[in-house]
Amino acid sequence: MSTAVHAVYSPTPADGYITETSALQATTENLIKSHVPPAGESQVELHKRCHFEFLVRNLRQGFPERYTSQDASQPWLIYWTLHGFSILGAGLDDLTKKRTIDTLLALQHPDGGFAGGPGQAAHLLPTYASICAFAIVGRPGSGGGWEAIDRKKIYDFFMSLKQPDGSFLVSHHGEVDVRGIYCLLAVATLLNILTPELLSGVPDFLATCQTYEGGFGNASFPGWAFEADDPESQKDPAASFDPTAPRPPLGEAHGGYTFCATASWVILQSYIDLYYARPGEMPSASLPRRPQINTRGLLRWCVQMQGLPIELGGFRGRTNKLVDGCYSWWTGGCVVLVETLLGVTTHHEPPTEENAGEEDGHKAWDDVDDSLFNRRALQEYILCAGQHPAGGLRDKPPKPADAYHTLYCAAGLSAAQHRVIPSEPRRKAVISAWDADQARAHDNTGFVTTSDVDREKLDALRRETCAHVLSWSEEEGTALYVGGAANRVNATHPLLNLTVTHSDSMMAYFYGQTLPARIPARSRT
Amino acid sequence: MSELFADDPEWADVVPIRQYENVNPIAPIFYSEEYKDATDYFRGIIKTGEMSPRVLKLTEKIIRMNPAHYTAWQHRYKTLIAIKADLEEELRLMDVIATQFMKTYQVWHHRRLLLTAINSVDVAVLELDFLRDVLKLDTKNYHTWSYRQWILAHFNNETRLWARERAYAEQLLDADVRNNSAWHHRFFVVFSSGVRLGDEDREQVLRRELSYAKEKIALAPNNLSVWNYLRGVLEFTDTPFETLTSFVEPYTASRRLASGEEVLDLDNPLPSEKAELPCVAALEFMADIYEKRAGDAIAKAVEIWRSLADERDVMRKKYWEYRIRDALQKA
Repeated sequence: MSTAVHAVYSPTPADGYITETSALQATTENLIKSHVPPAGESQVELHKRCHFEFLVRNLRQGFPERYTSQDASQPWLIYWTLHGFSILGAGLDDLTKKRTIDTLLALQHPDGGFAGGPGQAAHLLPTYASICAFAIVGRPGSGGGWEAIDRKKIYDFFMSLKQPDGSFLVSHHGEVDVRGIYCLLAVATLLNILTPELLSGVPDFLATCQTYEGGFGNASFPGWAFEADDPESQKDPAASFDPTAPRPPLGEAHGGYTFCATASWVILQSYIDLYYARPGEMPSASLPRRPQINTRGLLRWCVQMQGLPIELGGFRGRTNKLVDGCYSWWTGGCVVLVETLLGVTTHHEPPTEENAGEEDGHKAWDDVDDSLFNRRALQEYILCAGQHPAGGLRDKPPKPADAYHTLYCAAGLSAAQHRVIPSEPRRKAVISAWDADQARAHDNTGFVTTSDVDREKLDALRRETCAHVLSWSEEEGTALYVGGAANRVNATHPLLNLTVTHSDSMMAYFYGQTLPARIPARSRT
Repeated sequence: MSELFADDPEWADVVPIRQYENVNPIAPIFYSEEYKDATDYFRGIIKTGEMSPRVLKLTEKIIRMNPAHYTAWQHRYKTLIAIKADLEEELRLMDVIATQFMKTYQVWHHRRLLLTAINSVDVAVLELDFLRDVLKLDTKNYHTWSYRQWILAHFNNETRLWARERAYAEQLLDADVRNNSAWHHRFFVVFSSGVRLGDEDREQVLRRELSYAKEKIALAPNNLSVWNYLRGVLEFTDTPFETLTSFVEPYTASRRLASGEEVLDLDNPLPSEKAELPCVAALEFMADIYEKRAGDAIAKAVEIWRSLADERDVMRKKYWEYRIRDALQKA
């Protein structure tokens, strides 16, 4: 039974006081409401074939001229398409993989990092997209592409963008933006190029990007706290730091930035534990005060972004803006990350046979489902409003489909279908099989530790970060497929947005580890 | 008549470079002839490192066809600096592009680089005026607002830049009280960026902001922006939510008091006649008050969360139930 049972499809109350925002909201609600699912869930079908064909058309025939606007995002087009395939459950033939690898390598900049197109400047965002695409199509060994990724140069490129306030420019002469930080951290984690000098100040910077609403904006202003506000100048970054000066966030709380900041914060937990004072501990020169974010405020903001029943439970990206399919991932997909930070994610015993049934088992199922957002409604939004009849997925009706929305709607659907959370047994298994010497030998940064203590800390940083990221697994018995199992899509990693298979393989290779097999579902204790 | 660089004798000395050599790229884009031509020549001058007036023409052409081409922007900026171009003239040239392509990052970042290089408060004043015009077209443009906030912080001039900002935010909120970008801007100006000239009495500022928020809530209570603002102000100033109990209570009732029953209280404006009550945000606020009070009040919080979960805000059922669990666990 859909939310129709609970919902009166009431419009957002306008209190008899119409403004541009409420008028646009009302029009949109009428539009979305007309896509309410007909009685009987089974009629709501994910047209996988159509969406495959939409993606395949782009891959085989190429992108139409209007995609010129994405000419500086070519690896994104590739990643959105290939990861779209991964989620929808399609494999790629070897020739396609080879052509993709060759294309991606043409985007690698001679000075390090990847660019939006051949001959363009290296940039953090296309670097993430390229590395993720490599995770999907590449493999170890000659011709597999992974060997040809110049990790040392990527590291140097990252360090060349580092700012005094802990942030990074996205490219030379580029802007500071939390999306860039997320992309950098995801890549550094996948490629085993994490170091304390790379991560220094990043948590502090991220914390300054949280707004009073609880979500995150795109950056913060460093100029009062750090003398060097101007990346165009060559001022000494260590010149002066005033910890009491305000570092206000720039830009309101926004779904995309909130996902990037939150995922970054989760990835950085191991770094924070090792390089900052413990909560309650006296900070010192070597262990500074731990930066904090308002986790409860963040949770509140994220769940407030889910639309009303009349909006079919889609997510919006900002307060008082319209719902959009892509926020299914950015905002909807962020909720599980926040749950993790709050410590409310634990793998449970799966439901018993008595209560696992579809129809009358809903209540029991709901009791077992710990997700703090409405998974059922989000799936309904994507299935009913997000699918374009001619193939591909979209923002909302009647907009056309595009590669970006196809991926993020699919990923959002995946996040609503599958509850993927950190697994403590999995994490422990990775740690007990951990080969620190191999991990250290595979570090390609050229970063040198100057003491045994520092070396051990860096070993721990690598091990703990890697083990945490690799520990995310689907919680058994918690899958929910609106419209039935035929609508099932593959699970995706909530931090990286790659399948667990792809992220496991890439990280095993770059950390020099042989990962223990993932314990098959039934025998988990 | 061809507009291609390939046919232009002025560009005969440049060797155009195709995008992909010896690679059959996956998922190619079907560029127009003009775009392919311009970017082939762009790759050509990148290779030679040319920074000259004609490069400005080339990059402008590319930017107009693809305003997201960050490398073209980057090289344009470097060229402007290298040839010591008139940066204010560049700003004016960019005005039309900014208006046309206002949803693109690079357009705004370029202006920011120019403002930084010009380093003039006079120009910053003009820029803020320009941004007002842009925001008229798209009142919530993210990059524009973020850039506006950066200008204010970077130049940090109280009398010439900060002074009119709160009024500007108010003007926008008069036009649309649901404009979250304007609320965020108000918070930025009044609280997150230090103390404004004239705002040194923080108690007075707090009273003023609370009064403003309450007035806007009374006007249209089902507006998450203003409740988030109110909560933000209270949290920032460490003011307990409890202090607003009398104000919030009428918003949690199912109906307004009939006229004649109400007592005019300037500190606690009542919901407007057409307000649709109870409003969810007010119920949430009340529950937060009860939770903070703790002890016996927890049961009252739970009652509200239960009603939200089951009836008033069912979409967030799981969240409200989490709040119940969490409060009971701590009790």
